[in-house]
Amino acid sequence: MAKGESPLKQFEIQPIIDINLFGLDISFTNSALWMTVTTAFILIFFTAPFLKSKKTNSVSDLYPSRMQVAAELGFSFINSLLNDTVGKEGKKYFSLVFTLFMFILFGNLFGMIPYSFTFTSHIIVTLALAMGVFIFVTILGFVKHGVKFFSFFVIPGLPIYMLPLLIPIEIISYLSRPISLSVRLFANMLAGHTLLKVFAGFVSALGIFGILPLVFIIALTGLEILIAFLQAYVFAILTCLYINDALHLH
Amino acid sequence: MPQLEQVEFFISQLFWLGVFFVILFSVLTYITLPKIRAFLNKRDDFVRSHISKQDELIKKAESIIENYEAKLTEAKNQASQIINDAKDEALHESERLLKATEEKIQQEIKLTETRVQKEKEDALSELNTQLKDSATDFISKVTNIEKGNINL
Repeated sequence: MAKGESPLKQFEIQPIIDINLFGLDISFTNSALWMTVTTAFILIFFTAPFLKSKKTNSVSDLYPSRMQVAAELGFSFINSLLNDTVGKEGKKYFSLVFTLFMFILFGNLFGMIPYSFTFTSHIIVTLALAMGVFIFVTILGFVKHGVKFFSFFVIPGLPIYMLPLLIPIEIISYLSRPISLSVRLFANMLAGHTLLKVFAGFVSALGIFGILPLVFIIALTGLEILIAFLQAYVFAILTCLYINDALHLH
Repeated sequence: MPQLEQVEFFISQLFWLGVFFVILFSVLTYITLPKIRAFLNKRDDFVRSHISKQDELIKKAESIIENYEAKLTEAKNQASQIINDAKDEALHESERLLKATEEKIQQEIKLTETRVQKEKEDALSELNTQLKDSATDFISKVTNIEKGNINL
C-alpha cells in the first residue's frame, strides 16, 4: 500500500476487461478474476487426484495418494457436518453445501495473499449467496410441507394470546436470516483486511519501531486465516441448519 | 467504502458470481463428487468384504480349536484308561507271583522239614543199632555168651 492511501482501497473493484451485454456492464473485474482462481483451484484440487483411472484392480488401488487424502478430508468434513445437523436426508444437499463451503473458504484464503482481492469482502456477493440459500430453503420448505410451512412461525406449546406478538417476531427473524448470514461474512472479511492494512501503514511510518506492528501483523494474519476458515464453516453450518428447519419445521 | 460506493459494478459482480458458482456447482455435482464417492465406496466395500471374510475365518478357527480340544480330552481319557488297566494288570501279576512264590517257599519248607525229620529218625535208628551192637559186644565179652544168643 502506497503512503497516504486509504486502507479501504484494497476493496476497490478494478475492471480488467470491459464487457457490455445488452446495455448491462458485466466487465471482467479483479473480483471476477479471483472467483476464477478460486473456482479453478477447487475443481483441480478435488478432481485431479481422482482422474487417474487405475484399472489394475489390485489392493494398491485402495491406498489413497496424498492429494486424495486431502480431498477426502474436505469431503468427509462436509459429510459429517451434514450428518450431524440434518441427518440422513441431508445427503441430497451435499453438493450445495460443499460448493458453498469450498467457494467461500478458498475465496477467503486466496484473499489472504498480499495484493490479491477478497471477493467475499463485498456485501453484494455475500448477500447474493445468502439470498440464494434463503430462497432455496424457503422453496424447499414449501415443496416439502405446502401451506403447512407457515406453521413454522407458530412456536408449539404457546398460549394463544401470545401468538399475535410472537408470529411477527418469528417472521422478522426468519426474514433477517439472509441479512445476518451475509453481513457476518462480509463484516468479518472487511474488518480483518482493514485492520491488517491499517497496521501495515504503521510499519513504514514508525521507522525502526515498525517491527512492533510487523510482529502484530504476522500474528493477525494467522488469526485472519483462522477466521477465513471459521466464517466459511459458519456459513455452511447455518445453511445446514436452515435446510434442517425447512425439512423438519419444528 | 468501495463496497457501497461502486454501485456500477454490482451487476458485474452478481453476473460473475452466478457464472462461477453454477460452473463450480455443476462440475462438482456431476463429475468430482461422484468420483470421490465411488473411490470411497470402493474402499469401504473392500474393507467390509474383508471384515466378513475375517469373521468366517475366525469361526472356522474356533471350530477347529473345539475339535482339537475334544480330541485332546478323548485322548487323555484313553490314556488314563490304558494307564489304569496297566496298573491293575501289574498289580494282579505281582500278587499272583507273590502267591506262587510263597507257595513254593512253603512247599520247600515242608519238604525240607520232612527230609530233616527222616534224617533225624534214620540217625536215631542207626544210633540205636550201633548202641545195640556195642552193647551186645560188651555183654558177650563180659559174659562170654555168643553174640547170636544175646537178645536185647
